[in-house]
Amino acid sequence: MTRVTQVTILIVLVILFALLYQGLWGDPHRIPTVLVGTRAPLFEGPDVETGASLSSSQFAGKVILVNFWASWCQECKVEHDNLLRLYEDFRDHPDFVMLGINYQDEVEDARAYLKERGSGFAHMRDVKGTLAIAFGVYGVPETFVIDKAGLIRHKRIGPIVGDAYTQLTKHVLTPLLNDANPVL
Amino acid sequence: MSRFIPMLFVLCLAYPHVAHADVVDETAIDKQVRAIAKTLRCTVCQTENIWESGAPLARQMRDAIRERVLRGESAGAIRAYFQSRYGDYIMMEPPKHGINWLIWLAPFLLLFGGGLLLWREINGWVTRTPAPRPDVPPLDEASRRRIRQDMEPPEV
Amino acid sequence: MIIEIGHFSVVIALVLSAFGMVTSVLALTTRNTDWVRVGRMAVTMIFLLLSAGMASLVYSFLTRDFSVHYVATTSNSQLPLFYTIAAVWGGHEGSLLLWVCLLSAFSTVAVWLHWRTQPAIMPYLIGVECLVILGFLLLILFLSSPFDRLIPAPPDGKDLNPLLQDPAMVLHPPMLYMGYVGFSIPFSFAMAALFSGRLGEEWIKVTQRWTIFAWLCLTTGILLGGYWAYYELGWGGYWGWDPVENASFMPWLVGTAFLHSVMVQEKRKMFKVWNLFLIIVTFSLSLIGTFLVRSGVLTSVHTFATDPERGLYILIFVTTVIGLAFGALLLRANALKSRIEMDSMVSRESVFLFNNLLFLVAAATVFLGTLYPLMIETWKGAKVTVGPPYYNTVFMPIALGLLFLMGVGPYIPWRKASRSTLKKHFLIPRAIGTASTLVVFVLGIHRAFALAGAFVVGFAGAAIVIDFGKISSLYARRASVNPLKGAWAAFTSNQRRYAGLVTHVGVLVLVVGILASTIYQTEKVVSLRVGDEFVLNEYRVKLERIHDVRGKNWSAQEGVFEVYEGETLLTRLRPQKRVYDASQTPTTESAIYSKNMGHIFLTMPDVSPDGVAVARGVINPLILLVWSGGGIMGLGVLLNIFRPHQRRDDDAL
Repeated sequence: MTRVTQVTILIVLVILFALLYQGLWGDPHRIPTVLVGTRAPLFEGPDVETGASLSSSQFAGKVILVNFWASWCQECKVEHDNLLRLYEDFRDHPDFVMLGINYQDEVEDARAYLKERGSGFAHMRDVKGTLAIAFGVYGVPETFVIDKAGLIRHKRIGPIVGDAYTQLTKHVLTPLLNDANPVL
Repeated sequence: MSRFIPMLFVLCLAYPHVAHADVVDETAIDKQVRAIAKTLRCTVCQTENIWESGAPLARQMRDAIRERVLRGESAGAIRAYFQSRYGDYIMMEPPKHGINWLIWLAPFLLLFGGGLLLWREINGWVTRTPAPRPDVPPLDEASRRRIRQDMEPPEV
Repeated sequence: MIIEIGHFSVVIALVLSAFGMVTSVLALTTRNTDWVRVGRMAVTMIFLLLSAGMASLVYSFLTRDFSVHYVATTSNSQLPLFYTIAAVWGGHEGSLLLWVCLLSAFSTVAVWLHWRTQPAIMPYLIGVECLVILGFLLLILFLSSPFDRLIPAPPDGKDLNPLLQDPAMVLHPPMLYMGYVGFSIPFSFAMAALFSGRLGEEWIKVTQRWTIFAWLCLTTGILLGGYWAYYELGWGGYWGWDPVENASFMPWLVGTAFLHSVMVQEKRKMFKVWNLFLIIVTFSLSLIGTFLVRSGVLTSVHTFATDPERGLYILIFVTTVIGLAFGALLLRANALKSRIEMDSMVSRESVFLFNNLLFLVAAATVFLGTLYPLMIETWKGAKVTVGPPYYNTVFMPIALGLLFLMGVGPYIPWRKASRSTLKKHFLIPRAIGTASTLVVFVLGIHRAFALAGAFVVGFAGAAIVIDFGKISSLYARRASVNPLKGAWAAFTSNQRRYAGLVTHVGVLVLVVGILASTIYQTEKVVSLRVGDEFVLNEYRVKLERIHDVRGKNWSAQEGVFEVYEGETLLTRLRPQKRVYDASQTPTTESAIYSKNMGHIFLTMPDVSPDGVAVARGVINPLILLVWSGGGIMGLGVLLNIFRPHQRRDDDAL
């Protein structure tokens, strides 16, 4: 066995183990999305509670926080109170809109869910699931922030709790509402 | 209404000849949907395409594909749409661009590179190996035949 | 109480495995054989203690003791007895215990079996096996214990994943693990050879049967897994190039390369380093596969339950074993230089080398494909998928190359072949290969790889049949007996060689099955009401009724489909849409009718409330050849393992 072969084997092994080690710390909540920086899809659909039609054109020029949820989703329950609190904190801002999107759900279940836990902001049904696909949703909960120009600026997979809450409010929403760039 | 449907169902079961029997078949649209769905990954499953997956997301994606096929979009355009929403991740095979060429070419590079190296190495060994010495006493004809019968495919 | 006894046994086994390593070190430093004897005792005790641990777990399952956390998560009071036993290895913790229990069983058998003939190897064998056992026991006891109690006990368990409630899944894990741990024996012998410097052919000859037995178990495990996927997952395919499947396929590929290349060392005393390298890689891949599957590194998104701590431990352990093995190999490599004598490029030796190259490239391809998403994520922060279309494309040329070598290899003599003899010898196989390509072409298959596949299968098959036919008729004439007896005499004259060829025939049968069921597959998905029918190739499939059925722990909607060929009723197929009681998990149960080695495969993925069923019909021609081929391969291996001892045996390959 030549020295070159020996060294090659060693290097390959070291790289391999470094890679596997790195892989251990991958955070499944951080799925890179190709959508951040692109134009948010247009949407319209019925309001969960009233059935009235909601459309993205109503919200043009505002900072929109979009949250995908479902009544069967455990992690959505975890973040629900936080979402209500967030809405209370920002609702007075004239440029802020918050929209829940009910995904893969029965309308009765969704209504009961909102009745029990409080709805706060408007919720729209994604009847065929096409909106979820347009937003590249993997599962619920997922949260997006769209800026005044209509571009998606932030995506979060998993519940908005702990650090995720602080990051979303302090580093994404506040700067965007003040026409600054999010701090990531 | 809600009570009527199960009743209808029971009727269908009880009197199959009453129900209108049809020969059903796939449409051209069905085939196109399948062909496209097989190339896209169910993003919440473990390496499964959205055609084979039973996940609700996969079902909705199939419906979305159908809607687009019905609208007359081409297979390429539909795939491109999904790719624009989910990234390369949704394609069942790595798209052939940029760094992904590495994984597409690697097996062939290994094969040809390895093959070339091995060929040269064997050639080297062959040239370094001395030719069989002629002064070794040859086998007598009887043993030679026996050996051939036992070891080699006989030439019948 | 029983489970605590089991727990305690496993703790003692842990201590003994550390002790076993100490005895082997002491035996080597003091050269006192008493220590080896003590080590043998330790290994035997470990096996008994782990069996006791396993038994206590089985007992807890059978008595449905849901105060044991593991029992509560993987079984349920309504789970049938058969699957209750399978549930013991139906989860991470229990399957690890099974792994290490089998490992200790193999070690014990190896120690007692080779005790007399291989005294010098013993300390190393005991040491290496104890190291691996120790590593796994630490993992089991500290990071994934199946013995933990759950207080207060839940009234009922969560149930075994319904997909695993399947006969094939009862045997699949033990078979696979026997394959993995089986390779640890030749690995230990190789380590012994490296550490002791006794680097002859001895270790290879001694472990030949172990290697091939491990290979048999691994092959069986993989094929059972494929069979399970085929009818349980309900999409009519048997191999999905999933990371978990790949993890078992990689050691198989390198193990197969090893199986072939050892023959060169036995016969020509060359490539010693290479064989050590191959067995080390094989066992390393078994361990890395375990890491990949258990650490959650390769699981998909939205499986949040990954445990980096456990993964980190496994990685450290795997790195230690692999590092030790490669370290020893690299340090010893220069002492191992064997004189290489090659008389010709056209020789058995070089065929084996090219065979090895192809197997390794195949393994590297699977390895790269499996880890590529991880590489891209680490490097560029993006996610990609490497799915079946990729593997099918790049694997085809490699597989065809291997099949071709399989056709020519056994007929090229050692050292040197004369080109004119070869030409003559392969004349008929070549004609048959060409003929089968033409037949396939005329049948309307024009895809390049299918045509190439037909040629190679025809070629290799003809080569085997013609050769064996000639030899058996020769034997028949020589002893003036009938051809059948002649064939038997020929077979037993060199059982190792011909058993190997039986395995090759199995491979060919398997390949025909794969090619036919892939290329000729017909699939149709239709929505239909009761009374409707659809056409599937030459069959008509009619939905006769849909009714509810009830099993021990599930309820289902069952569609009764009549399958007609012309006007004759062939069979009634009853696919189901099941929901399991405890977990409320829906599954799709397929219904299969076999005809001419092919399958009519039916599932009913959905029934709407107004009685419209979605039916999926698949025709998989010749698919039974996949598993029949596997069976023939297994038969070949058994004939190899249980061949009578012959003096010539090891020379006349």
